[in-house]
Amino acid sequence: MTDLKRINDIYEMYTSFTDAEPNGKFTFSAKDNLTSIDFESCAGSKILSGYRPPFDATPIKKMREAGGFLQGKTNMDEFGFGTFSANSGFGIPKNPYDLNRSCGGSSGGAACAAAVLEDHVALGVSTGGSIVCPASFCGVYGIAPSYGRVSRYGLIDYANSLDKVGVLSAKAADLGKYLRIIAGKDEHDPTSCVQPDMPEKDRAMKSVAVPKEAIEGISDKVMTHFEASLESLRSMGIDVEYVDMPVLKYAMPAYYVIAASEASTNLARFCGMRYGQQDGDLSLGFDAYFTSFRSKYFGDEAKRRILLGTFTRMVGYADRYYNKALRVRESIIQEYKKVFTNCDAVVTPTMPFISPRFDEIANMSALDVYKADFLTIPPNLTGMPHMSVPCGYSDGMPVGLMFTSDHWNEDVLLSAAVEWEKGFEMKRPEVKA
Amino acid sequence: MKIGLEIHVQLPTKTKMFCSCPTEGEDRPNSRVCPTCLGLPGSKPSLNRKAVELGLTIAKVLGCTIPEQTWFSRKTYFYPDLCKHFQTTQYDMPIGERGVYKLGNKDIRITRVHLEEDPGKTKRVGDNTALVDYNRSGIPLVEIVTEPDISSPAEARQFLAELLVTIRNAIDLPADGDRSVRCDCNISVGKERCEVKNVTGLKNVENCLKYEAVRQTKTLKAGGKIERETRRFDEERKVTLPARKKEYEADYGYIGEPDLGIYNIGEIAASIKIRESPIEMATRFTTQYGLDSGKAKQIVTTSLELAALFEELVKATDVKTAITWTTGAITANWKTFDVSKKDELISIVKELFNGSIKDTECSIRVKALMTGKSADELSSAAGDLEEVINGLIDANLHVVDDYRKNPKAANMIIGMAMKQTGGAYSSSDIVEAVTRMIETRL
Repeated sequence: MTDLKRINDIYEMYTSFTDAEPNGKFTFSAKDNLTSIDFESCAGSKILSGYRPPFDATPIKKMREAGGFLQGKTNMDEFGFGTFSANSGFGIPKNPYDLNRSCGGSSGGAACAAAVLEDHVALGVSTGGSIVCPASFCGVYGIAPSYGRVSRYGLIDYANSLDKVGVLSAKAADLGKYLRIIAGKDEHDPTSCVQPDMPEKDRAMKSVAVPKEAIEGISDKVMTHFEASLESLRSMGIDVEYVDMPVLKYAMPAYYVIAASEASTNLARFCGMRYGQQDGDLSLGFDAYFTSFRSKYFGDEAKRRILLGTFTRMVGYADRYYNKALRVRESIIQEYKKVFTNCDAVVTPTMPFISPRFDEIANMSALDVYKADFLTIPPNLTGMPHMSVPCGYSDGMPVGLMFTSDHWNEDVLLSAAVEWEKGFEMKRPEVKA
Repeated sequence: MKIGLEIHVQLPTKTKMFCSCPTEGEDRPNSRVCPTCLGLPGSKPSLNRKAVELGLTIAKVLGCTIPEQTWFSRKTYFYPDLCKHFQTTQYDMPIGERGVYKLGNKDIRITRVHLEEDPGKTKRVGDNTALVDYNRSGIPLVEIVTEPDISSPAEARQFLAELLVTIRNAIDLPADGDRSVRCDCNISVGKERCEVKNVTGLKNVENCLKYEAVRQTKTLKAGGKIERETRRFDEERKVTLPARKKEYEADYGYIGEPDLGIYNIGEIAASIKIRESPIEMATRFTTQYGLDSGKAKQIVTTSLELAALFEELVKATDVKTAITWTTGAITANWKTFDVSKKDELISIVKELFNGSIKDTECSIRVKALMTGKSADELSSAAGDLEEVINGLIDANLHVVDDYRKNPKAANMIIGMAMKQTGGAYSSSDIVEAVTRMIETRL
């Protein structure tokens, strides 16, 4: 038995992986919702068990072309629906700092792999915070770039207008190095074709703004580290000011309406026909057959979002919910743009609390879980690049600091990560194999 | 009676609407498919520009208002041949709205013209088994929706036939093959309407509407109520049957297609030049050249190249000469004519017009050029024929006067010439010669 298998038995970060000796210039993993030849791609859903895609997602293809060795597919909440990776059909990844706690989600396996494997870079995907949340809980660096920066070709969709492929690593410099590899226009994804090139040299971050609305409802443990982090930023020569961004409070309802509406159309294709699980009762009519499959193999959260999204798309409700949510998104973008006329980035804690224990998660309502994302949703809704860096440890658990910059200004975040790393003492978790 | 149609026509692009699979070629089921047109998880669409251009051409031909921007939408429904279980179509911003189609003197209003992808094809192979072929999945379609301005099944058929001629001419749509027209037919004789889905071909459209008109009338007469419903047409039995109850457009839960952007189509639309339709051309020939409408239609339906040759002859000679020779000898020998020799043909008629050759010689040389037969052979045969006709006209001089009032008067001489020559000449040769020889005596 290899070390990798032993490690995975402890942390459950991979849903599938190869024992083969890595033979690339570097080793990477990809979230299970990125399609890849040689591996099953199930997006954390039992309904896709056994599905082996005939093509590589563009980001995976680019990593392989750059000499990368794809080691495995990382565990995640089913289709990205969750904050703790507890909604996976294939086990739950465990936080390397405390096995009773969550890795965060939905790219929980990716953050775990970045934390426990040496010299490892993990591709993650963010829709509403699914890169920065687990990066924060697992104490690694993680960036979700501007919407459209990285091709989504081969990404099994959650919410097409929100999904972004990004990078997680224990090393700050990796974010820029590998983001540049996977970024760029791809004719297979028209939404990637409007991007300007990334500048060759990263610009320095000179000033940040803290929205007053974003620091209400933060746990004391996190707040202590956040305030200390602002001091560190000042000592790095970065101006820190406080701003009002009152429309941020509308981000969460708008996000869930848009995400659920789009998700409910994306999930329509999964029905036990053509790919994935197909062991149903063929004597049924197609409607009954599809229903039996979807009832059996979708998890509760997937079903909840299909119901929510189907409702918000119904005639008479579309204007009240979906179309209104699109307008809210526009006004939040404008609010951010206003702030960015005076500063390079907005800074907040990444998550309002440190990673919760699984018994605490079991007692949370769906709404409690949705609310946990209130800091990560605004930048995701606007399609703006955002990044989590580790900023301290509370009771031994990592705390994350999140930066958001204007569209296409990833370079400002990348330079800040490298600068931050110079002054931050990272405590890697003890990994048992 | 009110009838409105939703007409689906496959657009003749080389590749599919959202991927680069070929639209034609191998017929083996599921041989022309890729992750995108199979809707595999992770696949994404990218729009075929040619499909947009063809759709815009049709929208323009139908006189639609074309917006500056357009986008696509997802129409969600579950059916095995729809691989993503949503159809990428257009909902709130179609490529064309508020057009008009002239059916004779009547206006048929066009509600909208939009683009969408075709689903795959389901083939039932037993009571409990069906197979799906996705070769058709993703082929671009244009959907044309009319207002309920059509007032009879026969008019619906005529409208469809003429509309298809217009579309074929506008975008070089092949006339045959699998690219047949499919219609959803909406019809009401009272207040509530029924929709008969997916009727293929002109004859079936007429038959299904006829059946549905009778059914609705009978139901109402018997004191029954027409319920709004979707029906299907059984081609074998020529009856419509209930399909699904109470389905409204809005039940499809449309949202914008987030994988595709917003497309600026104003400039593309403005740069598209539309060709005159054959029907418009025939109308113009009658008003511009005084050609009678029957002959004008005959020219454009024989061939658009013949129509073009006619207009060149008008320029090279004059209207009268062009009409005589186009509707006469040239039409008669069109089938064997190699169109690349048209300049030669025009110069022969021009010689006649300049007076350097006579009718008979012109006729022989035209025929020789168009049929490839030797002029000598034609000359002696024609000489004989003309001698016979001359004799007949001399003996029946009143025919020339009668012809002035009604060209059908020539039929008498034609009949006598056919009888007298006993099958030695083709009827078209005789018709042409008699007409020409009467006209020279006018």
